[in-house]
Amino acid sequence: MNVHSDELVDDYLRRLDAAASALPAHRREELISEIRDHLEEAMRREPASDEAAVRNVLERLGSPEEIVSAAQDPAPPGHLVAPYRETNGSAIVSVLLGVLWFAWIGSVLALFFGYRARREIKNSAGRQKGSGLATVGIILGWIGIAILLAGVAAGVVLVASSAGSSGGTPVPAHSRGGTPVPVHSP
Amino acid sequence: MEPGRARNSVSQLRKGTLEYCVLALLRDGRRYGFELVRTLSEADGLLVSEGTIYPLLSRLRRDHLVSTSWQESEAGPPRRYYQLTDAGQRALADFSDEWARFRDAVDALLTAQGEGR
Repeated sequence: MNVHSDELVDDYLRRLDAAASALPAHRREELISEIRDHLEEAMRREPASDEAAVRNVLERLGSPEEIVSAAQDPAPPGHLVAPYRETNGSAIVSVLLGVLWFAWIGSVLALFFGYRARREIKNSAGRQKGSGLATVGIILGWIGIAILLAGVAAGVVLVASSAGSSGGTPVPAHSRGGTPVPVHSP
Repeated sequence: MEPGRARNSVSQLRKGTLEYCVLALLRDGRRYGFELVRTLSEADGLLVSEGTIYPLLSRLRRDHLVSTSWQESEAGPPRRYYQLTDAGQRALADFSDEWARFRDAVDALLTAQGEGR
């Protein structure tokens, strides 16, 4: 090979090296060594080792960029991989708090995180999942709140009825008429 | 119809079948990279640029369909030889069956045109 042919090969290998920088180190080394061996073998078989022969060999080989892009192709056609979607963190927190309940504080926080999760998932444009979880958290939250309210109502009724049945002070008849009872200040 | 359409479809087919053509070339024994590349590029239209076969060989090796070994050569530096593994043999056999079915189905449809009228 004359000087100019060597330059062509060197230039080609430099471009290959640059293009292959995107590959993991061991695969880059393997690819470059294979291409080097190929070039050597191909040139040995060429009847003449002039510039035209080198150009022909390089042309048959294809451009470095083309070769590297073949090395990057992760899956054969037809094997479409579903894009990875992460689960929204607030949705998980919401369900946990809804279940753990924490004397109703959990329920309130479950609602807070549940609605926040829904908003975040909506804004993620399909990159996040977990709206089902968020809904579960919200439902648990509302159940907790409902139980709290029911408990409070039951407590009020209980207190009122126990106060009524103990016969302490019957409600004054005139207060039922709707007219305000004047408060006597001491 | 635009003329590039058929060519594009065939190019997709070629891409999908190329790895099995490589496995088929290894059925009768091991070969080294350069030998595989030249055989493929001499088969009509199978290989557009020779260099792209090396990433394919590397992938087949990572998928354990082929294994490699170095061997001294009479001329020049040692060569990396590729040979089929058991998994590679099974993959090739499976593909051969599927391909025969697929080819027959497509051929039947392509040649049946006009008979129905």
